[in-house]
Amino acid sequence: MTNQPLSGMHNIRTKRHVSTGQRFAVGVLSSCLIACGSDQPDKNIPALNQTYPAQPGGTMISAMPSDPSSMIGMVAGESASLAIGAYLFNSVLKYDQNLDLTGELAESWQVADDKKTITFRLKPGLQWADGKPLTSADILFTWQLITDENTHSPYASDYQLVTKAEAPDARTFIVHYSQPFAPALESWASLQVLPKHKLAGQDIRTTSFAQKPLSSHYYQLKEWRHGEYIKLEKNPKSVLGPANIDHLIERIIPDPAAQFLELMADNIDSMNMDPITYARIIPSRPALQARLNQYKELGNSYTYLGFNLKRKPFDDVRIRKAINYAIDKQEIIDGVYLGLGITIASPYKPGTRWSNPQLTPYPFDPTKAKQLLAEAGYQDSDGDGIVERNGKKLSFEVLTNLGNKQREKTAVIIQRRLKEVGIETHIRTLEWASLLTNFIKPGDFDAVVMGWGLGLDPDQYTIWHSSQQKPGQFNFIGYNNPAVDKLLEQGRLEFDPEKRMQIYHDFAKVLYDDSPLVYLSAGYGLTAIHKRIQGIMNPVPPAGVGYDSQKWYVPEPLRRTQIQAE
Amino acid sequence: MQRILQNPLALTGLCFIGVILLLALLAPLIAPYDPDAIQVKQILVAPSAEHWMGTDGLGRDVWSRMLFGGRVSLLVGLVAVGISTVIGVILGALAGYYRGWVDTAIMRLVDIMLSIPSFFLILAVIAFLSPSITNVMIVIGLTSWMSVTRLVRAEFLSLTQREFVTASTALGAQDWRVIFKHCLPNSLTPVLVSVVLGIASAVLLESGLSFLGLGVQPPQASWGNILTDGKEYIQFAWWLSLYPGLAILITVLGYNLLGEGLRDVFDPRSHTR
Repeated sequence: MTNQPLSGMHNIRTKRHVSTGQRFAVGVLSSCLIACGSDQPDKNIPALNQTYPAQPGGTMISAMPSDPSSMIGMVAGESASLAIGAYLFNSVLKYDQNLDLTGELAESWQVADDKKTITFRLKPGLQWADGKPLTSADILFTWQLITDENTHSPYASDYQLVTKAEAPDARTFIVHYSQPFAPALESWASLQVLPKHKLAGQDIRTTSFAQKPLSSHYYQLKEWRHGEYIKLEKNPKSVLGPANIDHLIERIIPDPAAQFLELMADNIDSMNMDPITYARIIPSRPALQARLNQYKELGNSYTYLGFNLKRKPFDDVRIRKAINYAIDKQEIIDGVYLGLGITIASPYKPGTRWSNPQLTPYPFDPTKAKQLLAEAGYQDSDGDGIVERNGKKLSFEVLTNLGNKQREKTAVIIQRRLKEVGIETHIRTLEWASLLTNFIKPGDFDAVVMGWGLGLDPDQYTIWHSSQQKPGQFNFIGYNNPAVDKLLEQGRLEFDPEKRMQIYHDFAKVLYDDSPLVYLSAGYGLTAIHKRIQGIMNPVPPAGVGYDSQKWYVPEPLRRTQIQAE
Repeated sequence: MQRILQNPLALTGLCFIGVILLLALLAPLIAPYDPDAIQVKQILVAPSAEHWMGTDGLGRDVWSRMLFGGRVSLLVGLVAVGISTVIGVILGALAGYYRGWVDTAIMRLVDIMLSIPSFFLILAVIAFLSPSITNVMIVIGLTSWMSVTRLVRAEFLSLTQREFVTASTALGAQDWRVIFKHCLPNSLTPVLVSVVLGIASAVLLESGLSFLGLGVQPPQASWGNILTDGKEYIQFAWWLSLYPGLAILITVLGYNLLGEGLRDVFDPRSHTR
């Protein structure tokens, strides 16, 4: 995902506090003046709809919901630092526009016949922004760093499967696995390579490199005002050739409403939107809409209602299915996402190779739900509208994170529908950290409304394998099915795409029949980008609107005139 | 009673509260829709003849939710103040009647409670206990009895010096009889004013807690959580913020006006014939 700074991942947590971006507005004062005029037709403003030839230069300003704590995303493990890191550091491999793997630092790579060894051949003449050569020693160093116990990298597990890594010469990097590991290539597309000559011998948790990184990618860090903005400058020595836009400014604006106000005032060029902004607010402001390009793309994530399978009554598949039938997913998509989402039947993005086309989402069928409840022995014997078995009401608590309005609303719709088939639910919203620490990790919950953001590789071992149930691991719902375990293990060993596809289709089918969670929806990522940013791929490729953003450009006539505050 | 009705402040307050109370009490009869009925095809509809106050983010009728939310707000106000008044009166009576170490202990407790910022105390306790309407009522009640205690104690301090109290003690009346028969009825006037003002602040507290997601839990409506929902859409769905805001304003204003009015009426010094 290195080339997708704008990809539509949902922010799992939305922090709310007042934007500190006001002071910064002085720096782009003139843009305010332009913005004020642009609401009325003005002949002096160049036509936004005209396409200009690509040219280097200019500045693009985006909004980001949170400030990264460090530029070393592989260690910090935050989406914000990985997103900035994607501008600064290269990976060995990358995904092309059709989401097929291609070389980034690597010129070519070879998987040995036993599938246990991968040999990467690097491109010639790679260098860091300071002119020092970028070699396989840097990659080896980064691998050692990430897998080092003292680094505590959240991404270590994939790289720890490498039994031996070697850099026999400056342009060759070889990794050995003890057994075939199909997601290996994907893992080499997400490792952000760090410079050995800057970091060797330093304590990675405290190094000043985290604040003043040395880059090899399209951009380098120019200025970072914590909580305000991050200013990136074009790296002339970029290993993949220079980008078009001179400066990228990422403004830290935690509140989506504040981001939107800045977009209206033309103080930012792009932001990720929620469905309300996309479907209701922007269409109601034609002047704003006229200067924006809006993108809608299916994200690689989904929302679900997950059950604690270790608790009664969720150990009974009939109850899980009954709940699945009782929930109207389309209603949630219409009500919460204003139609900007789709129903899913497998834990993969619909339309991709891994999504099993034979499965159709559980239909909304309350009659069937009631029937299944009755089969499981639940009957409303006391006439209070809630079914019970042996005098015990079918009642449970649904947890979700406070501040995520979409999930809260989803829970309310679920509550209403379940009540109609005689299931009582209580909704409890908790602060994200508290939800994770006090409820998810110890397994102390009945059901949750949460979401999964997924990588491009179909391997979901960490989410579904029965060995991944320790506190803090991802299989917190306690799913335990030997058939699924076996398929997940096979999937990791299989390199042939067709066979792999079959394995994951089978896996999705078992999940479908088991219904360990209710897939609620896959939402669209919604992005607004000012029309002054040109060169965006049209139509949007499978890799997303942010693909090849180094080719974007800001035509001279459309640039903001900048007054530097320095 | 006559004097209350002649006081313009009290009368205005009474009218405000009367209307709100009436609407809340009759909510099931006058609400045109089920307040929890979700209509995803009718999301964020502006106020119209069909939906007087529009609909919210899930297509629920705001007018119906306001009516039912009013019940919650007023219930919380009354119960919480009920709890705080009972505690306050008992502690105040004990302190004022027995004096000595009882008085010192109770008054120091009052001082301690007053020194803690009550909203944050309530926040902390609710977060700990898990939010629910019952917990909100109890916690607000348990953290707002101090002013009543002080009032009742002050009244008792002077009442116990009065002849009729001394007389009944001399006649051999038991303590409880003196407290409940002679002192308490004569000290209730200032308590009444404080109760009315207390309801206003309890309504406000409940709205604040619900606004923060720590009060009434979904799907149940309360003015506070309608406001929270509205915050998200404030750019274009003004009705979700305006109406609950107005309802809270009118209710709190009503109770405050009534309280002030009662104080004027009962205060002999401000009495002009």
